[in-house]
Amino acid sequence: MKKRLSVAIAMALTLALVLGAVASCGSGPKMTDKVTVWCWDPNFNVYAMKQAAAVYNKANPGVTIEIVDMAQDIEAKIISGLQANGAGLPDVALFQDFRIEQFLTDYPNAFVDLKAEGVDYSQFAAYKVGPMTVGDKVYGIPFDTGSTGLWLRTDYIQAAGLNPDAYMGKNLTWSEVIELGEQVKAKTGKPLLAYQSDNFDMLRIVVQSTGGQFFKEDGSLNLRSDAFRKSLALFKELNDKGLLYQVVGWSDWINAINSDTSAGFLNAIWMVGSVKSRPENAGKYMVVPTPLIEGVAGAANASNNGGSSWYVFSSSKNKARAVDLLKSVWATATPENLEFYNTILKDAGAMGTFLPSQSGSNYTANDSFFYKGQALSRDFASWMANVPTLKYTPHYVPMRDAVAHATLNYFQGKIATIDDAIAAAEAEYKQVTGN
Amino acid sequence: MKKKATYQRYLNQFGWMCVAPSIVLFCLFMLYPILSSLYYVTRRWKGMTNTFIGLGNFIRMGQDKVFQAALGNNFLFMLFQIPLMVFLALLLAVLLNQGIRRFKGPFRLAIFLPAVTSLVVVSVLFRVLLQENGMLNNVLIKARLIAEPIGWLNDAFWAKVTIVLAMTWRWTGYNMVFFLVGLQSIDPEIYEAAEVDGASKARQFFRITIPLLVPVILFSVVTSTSGTMQLFDEPNILTWQGGPANATMTAALYIYRQAFFVNADFGYATAMSYVVVLISGIFAFIQMRLLGENRKAK
Repeated sequence: MKKRLSVAIAMALTLALVLGAVASCGSGPKMTDKVTVWCWDPNFNVYAMKQAAAVYNKANPGVTIEIVDMAQDIEAKIISGLQANGAGLPDVALFQDFRIEQFLTDYPNAFVDLKAEGVDYSQFAAYKVGPMTVGDKVYGIPFDTGSTGLWLRTDYIQAAGLNPDAYMGKNLTWSEVIELGEQVKAKTGKPLLAYQSDNFDMLRIVVQSTGGQFFKEDGSLNLRSDAFRKSLALFKELNDKGLLYQVVGWSDWINAINSDTSAGFLNAIWMVGSVKSRPENAGKYMVVPTPLIEGVAGAANASNNGGSSWYVFSSSKNKARAVDLLKSVWATATPENLEFYNTILKDAGAMGTFLPSQSGSNYTANDSFFYKGQALSRDFASWMANVPTLKYTPHYVPMRDAVAHATLNYFQGKIATIDDAIAAAEAEYKQVTGN
Repeated sequence: MKKKATYQRYLNQFGWMCVAPSIVLFCLFMLYPILSSLYYVTRRWKGMTNTFIGLGNFIRMGQDKVFQAALGNNFLFMLFQIPLMVFLALLLAVLLNQGIRRFKGPFRLAIFLPAVTSLVVVSVLFRVLLQENGMLNNVLIKARLIAEPIGWLNDAFWAKVTIVLAMTWRWTGYNMVFFLVGLQSIDPEIYEAAEVDGASKARQFFRITIPLLVPVILFSVVTSTSGTMQLFDEPNILTWQGGPANATMTAALYIYRQAFFVNADFGYATAMSYVVVLISGIFAFIQMRLLGENRKAK
């Protein structure tokens, strides 16, 4: 009797453990009408989706929209979930535009075709739709633009004995910018640009402004272009003339621009939130068009950095609701939705790429936070129209890392010439991708 | 007699029942992944699709200089970090055991704290301190120890030094605890006898303390070796994804990036894991042999 009992207890324990392990993998039955969204920046895209959820909940009060800030390793978590056929994944996730082609290629059935769900893509900026299109299927809802400009501290320009108004709104060349930088450096001791030395963004901005491409049409690497060489040479010149204030890491870079270390930086409109987060910046910054490299055919005074879009996973248990949330708020031109786009532009610098939204009042309004009340959004929007398209391919990330590594080694003199730097980047790319 | 046999059988059955849960979990979370890795390793994975390539992943490894350099970094960290840490841990243990009588508790806590603190949290602070014009460089320049700021995070050589120092900071206290226990288990009579024979303190340390601590030292070296072979946190967070320009890339970090970041190539990641496991095994075997021989000698 006693023996039976102990055996029974042991078996029950085993069963409980195994069942517990299994149960924790799957999710219980959905009792409520709920949509879960993953994104990553509380002051930017998390904030924007919260505003969208509020708009959606006015018309659909019963729906719970849970927005999760996945700052750490969002891609790794999504890959794990996709490998497990959707276990643990949310209904909606935000992807960087440069990242999505890798996912659409590696996991062809993992995302919902939103064109088939009736989204009208002629209403969105065309350059955003390209990366999310495979054949006649279109998978995402475009979110924000990464239209770039050269952010300059007018107080340092004045301290150098120059008049900021002479630069305002002007299409500058890089040689003019270097001249300005040298004067500012000589008088104030401040390097012109805060630069994140382990990051690819600034080089990408410059190369894209020349109309250059990192990849050929067939998807193979394309670093041996005139545009790329000239961009690298420009960076080396900026570096050697001491015009770059170098930091390592993103948060430290943000820190650098908000602690008077340098006279400006080169980046996108979504930096508005970070600049405004420091009250002392008020009245000091102006943004001029992205400078131009002379002598490259097809170069423009405009470029792009970043930008992301919303996607619905096929594994979603509440697919129809998730699609409806994206479609009815982000892709429909009702007065409430346009006001929503207008709000996130003002509060977070999130400039949507839904074309009808660009008639909102904040697109043309003066912004008193900036030097002489510059109408920042209007300027960025006008530059956006001239941004040359950049081809990403599924291997953008290994290319980005390889080029960033070669650039740093070239800066530090570990690589002697531009040709060697290009060869080093090509070699690392080949090794990491195995292609 | 017969009754005893049934009782024995009952004990056996009961024993099996008791270990059944852990066996089931072991099979599910250890055995199954290990067996399935045999399948993974022969294939090139690309998300949901994969193709058979036989030994292709190992051939690719032979050409992959990034992976080879990453393994080289593992060895380099091992070579410099483990001796430094063992020396410091031993020193601190002896100090705590003899020198410092007051504030022993708080002192021990302060030294052990880094081992149980989350590196993710601490690295935010570390990164601020270690920037080119961060506090550390400023202090060193003011003290006239250096003329130019050091690129703790930005220079290939100094970033490696940073990793070694960060690992030492984190694990010295942890290993010190083992040494402390080892020291306390040494019979004081041995020291008394040595003193009667006129042995100096230094001689006592090198002739008594160190030889008697050899098993503990070896234990600490073996666990640190396998820990360093799996080094991931410091290069991922502190020097940011193995930077600058892969200078602090380690095997574990590269494997993770191949599987979950750059390529979703689980086959290649598995093949590299095999190599890391093999190397760790060889190191452990050599060190165990040394430990065994040492025991025989006594």
